[in-house]
Parts: sequence; C-alpha cells; structure tokens
Amino acid sequence: MSVLESLENYLLTEIAVGLGKKTLGPDEDLLELGIIDSLGLMKLISFMEEDFGIRIPDEEVIPENFQSLNCMAKLVELQVQN
Amino acid sequence: MDFSLTEDQVTFKKSAIEFAEKALNKGAKEREKNREFNQEGWEKCAEFGVQGLSMPEKYGGLGMDIMTCVVTMEALGYACRDSGLLFAINSHIWTCESPILKFGSEYQKDTYLPSLCNGSLKGGHAMTEADSGSDAFSMKCRAEKKGDRYVINGTKMFITNAPIADLLLVFAVTDPKKGFAGVSAFIVEKGFPGFSVGKPLELMGLKTSPIGEVVLQDCEVPEENLLGKEGAGGAIFNSEMEWERSCLFATHVGAMAKDLEDCIRHVNERQQFGKPIGKNQAVSHKIAEMHVRLELSRLALYKVAWLKSQGKRAPVESAIAKLFVSESYVQNCMEALQIHGAYGYSTEMDFEKNLRDAIAGKIYSGTSEIQKNIIASLLGL
Ligand SMILES: Cc1cc2nc3c(=O)[nH]c(=O)nc-3n(C[C@H](O)[C@H](O)[C@H](O)COP(=O)(O)OP(=O)(O)OC[C@H]3O[C@@H](n4cnc5c(N)ncnc54)[C@H](O)[C@@H]3O)c2cc1C
Repeated sequence: MSVLESLENYLLTEIAVGLGKKTLGPDEDLLELGIIDSLGLMKLISFMEEDFGIRIPDEEVIPENFQSLNCMAKLVELQVQN
Repeated sequence: MDFSLTEDQVTFKKSAIEFAEKALNKGAKEREKNREFNQEGWEKCAEFGVQGLSMPEKYGGLGMDIMTCVVTMEALGYACRDSGLLFAINSHIWTCESPILKFGSEYQKDTYLPSLCNGSLKGGHAMTEADSGSDAFSMKCRAEKKGDRYVINGTKMFITNAPIADLLLVFAVTDPKKGFAGVSAFIVEKGFPGFSVGKPLELMGLKTSPIGEVVLQDCEVPEENLLGKEGAGGAIFNSEMEWERSCLFATHVGAMAKDLEDCIRHVNERQQFGKPIGKNQAVSHKIAEMHVRLELSRLALYKVAWLKSQGKRAPVESAIAKLFVSESYVQNCMEALQIHGAYGYSTEMDFEKNLRDAIAGKIYSGTSEIQKNIIASLLGL
C-alpha cells in the first residue's frame, strides 16, 4: 500500500467514521471539511509515527502539513529522509 | 523503565524542600485570608531557579531534565503551604516560557526568556473564553493581519496570572474556515495598545493566585510576536498541556505525601475510646487507600516524565496522569479532613484549604471528563 492509500484508509476507518465518506481526494481540504478535528489529529499523528516509523516534531503540526492527503504524504516523505 | 532517582536529583529535591520550608511559608495564612499574591516568594523562587528550572543555561535557566523538574515540583508541593504561588509559577513555566522555548523565533527567545527565567517578567496563557471552555478551539477571539501587525479582538476568561502578568500567550482565530487548525498563538505584552485586564476573580480556592479576565480590543500585536506559524495554535496548546499535565500535577503528589505524613502522625497520637484512632480499621484503611493513591499518582507522573525524556509523545499517559492525580488529590484531601475531624474542618489547619485548592485541579488543564474523552478517543473510540 502506498503512503497515500495507507493514510486514506486510516482516515476513512478511524477518523471520518460516520461521515458517510467512501473515498478522499488527494487534495481535498480535510480541515475545512471538518474531517480532522483536534483529537483526530492526535490519533493521526500517532498512527503516522508508528506506521511510517517517523517522528513528527510539534513545530510541523501546522495546517500546511495536514490539510490534504497529498500534504501529509509529503510530510511523511520529508520525515523519512530526515 | 527505570524511575530511580540519581544522587543529584535526590540532593536537589532535598534542597528544594529546605528552601520552600524556609522561604515560602511565612505569612501564608494571612495572604490566603487577604487573597494576596506572594511577590516576595515569587522572587525567592526565581533566585532559587524555579522559574528557569527547565530552561537552557543560555537564557539563565538551570537546564534540568524533565524528571528533575517533576521531582522539584513534588518537593515544592510537599513543603510549600502556598499552593496559589506554586500554581502561578507553574502556569508561567509551562504555558508561557516552555512554548516560547519550543516554538519561538530566536528574536522571541532572546527577548523574553531571560526575563521570564529570572522572574522579572511574569507570564501565562489565554485560551478560555466565556462560551468556549472544554471546546477551546470554538473560540470567538479573532486576529486579523493588517500590514506588519495583527489586530486581535476578543475576551478571555479565567486566565491564571492575568492580573499580574507582563505577557500572555493569547490564542486567536486567524483562519475561521479551518476550525482548530485556524487558531494561532501570539505573545502579547501588557503594554500593547488595546490590551487590558479585569480585577482578580473570586474563586473557591487558589486564593493567592491572581486569576482574571483579559480584554483585547483592537489590540495591536507586531507580526514578529506570532508564535510559530499561523495555524500552529493547536500544536502549541497540545504541547503545553502535555507538559503542564505532568509537571504542575507533581506539586499535588508532593502535597499528598505531606498530608499523608500529617494523617499518620495524627491517627497515632489522637486517642478516642482509650486507644489511638488509627487502631480502628475504618481509619487505618483510609490511610492505606491514601497511600495507594499517592504511590500510583507518582508512578503515573514518572511514566510521563520518562516517556518525554525519551523524546516520545505521551498524550494518553499525560491524560491518565492528570486525571488520576487530580481525582486522587481531591479524595485524599477529603480523607485527611475526615481523619482530623472538626480540627480538619477548621481554617486553623490547612486541610479545608487544600481541598478547595485541589478541586480546581479537576477543572483546569482540561476537566476530568475531557481527559477521559482523550483517553477513549486515542483507544479508538
Ligand atoms: C483555577 C483555574 C485556572 C484556570 N486558568 C486558565 C488559564 O490560565 N488559561 C485558560 O485559558 N483557561 C484557564 N482556566 C479555564 C479552564 O481551562 C476551563 O475552566 C476548562 O477548560 C473547562 O471549561 P469550562 O469551565 O468552560 O467548562 P465547560 O467546558 O463548560 O464544562 C462544564 C462541564 O461539562 C463537562 N463537559 C464539557 N464538554 C464535555 C464533553 N464533550 N464530554 C463530557 N463532559 C463534557 C466538563 O467536563 C464540565 O464538567 C482555568 C480554570 C480554573 C478553574
């Protein structure tokens, strides 16, 4: 599974539960749509750190890095390189 | 996991206890009655290094690791009878100084940290509003960029240190479309145009800790005082809360240890029906339960400190610690009061004051119910 697929799968099964979403577009704004709230973000960060074996510094927890699947995938790529 | 303390930590803990007993308790009863902040105690704590405990030496701090900070706070909680002063100091450290160190620009760190460490500046943070408490990110306070500054409008409630603070970390919405991710944090000085503070609020406890309302009316904040990037408010707030939930609550563990010692002495000395009251199982079981809660509270906090010292996140563990310590402290205060009978109920002793102070711990830094929500949510519910 690619990073993008894995993130989409996690969001659909763990965070966006009950919202009736079957897919998420790679550039869909998940913050504006209210799909990720503050507790959801905490869960998502734990998942990303564990699943991709990365550490996301608190300073990187900003909207640019979490507003869409593509943004998150870029963040993962960057942290893997680091 | 190894929670054993180093020799240095044991020595520092002892010196913090001696310091607090000597320097912080004189006149505590009077100040409590007059709802008076202990400015002299604040200054003495700064001289001892409390305000700069966790800060790098470069800014005048002691550069202590988190375990030493927790142990020191425990020592102060044990020996200092003025929990309002300790509450004010902890808010200053964990909700103002620490986020500036972690998220601040070089300019912000150089400008504010040395004076926050030496105690000449006092800080705090302003998140809560009249209509947004637990649901903190639904705040109304807005910050709009106008040229090289932000203009902030809104009112904040229940802000620790507000009446005495020189600067506050103010949270405001910069992008209303983005929900919690549209919240940013600003370092606001008391002298900025449009910033004002109400009178200290009258609360049930923590009477020596000034807490008040903050009004921001077209308050002008230079853009260099935005902390972190726009939208980083959520991350800053969560990071602050993780630290506060471990270090501030260490003072409660210290206070629980002191109360337990007092209770054990009392039940051995106080005679009724021809024997020490501690010889009644109904009383000795209370003591045993108090000890269990104290030990488990300490372990929960040390686990958070250990995780953080490994550079790990501790959202569930810090919520568990905050929930367990604050609830346990209230229960132990109730038992201590009961064990001391009418003397416990009297204002001559500290037990009724401790109970009033302890109850606040179930509300600030996220209520007990919200800690349970965090734990459940992170367990996948
Ligand atoms: C001594 C003290 C110092 C403080 N210092 C500061 C400070 O320095 N800065 C700052 O910004 N704020 C500060 N606060 C405010 C504090 O953070 C809030 O009081 C707290 O977040 C709760 O908000 P609230 O009082 O509006 O209660 P509400 O949010 O209105 O909650 C009322 C009750 O409903 C429950 N509840 C609410 N939502 C839920 C839910 N989803 N599930 C289950 N139960 C729920 C709560 O647990 C509580 O029991 C301080 C408060 C106190 C008491």
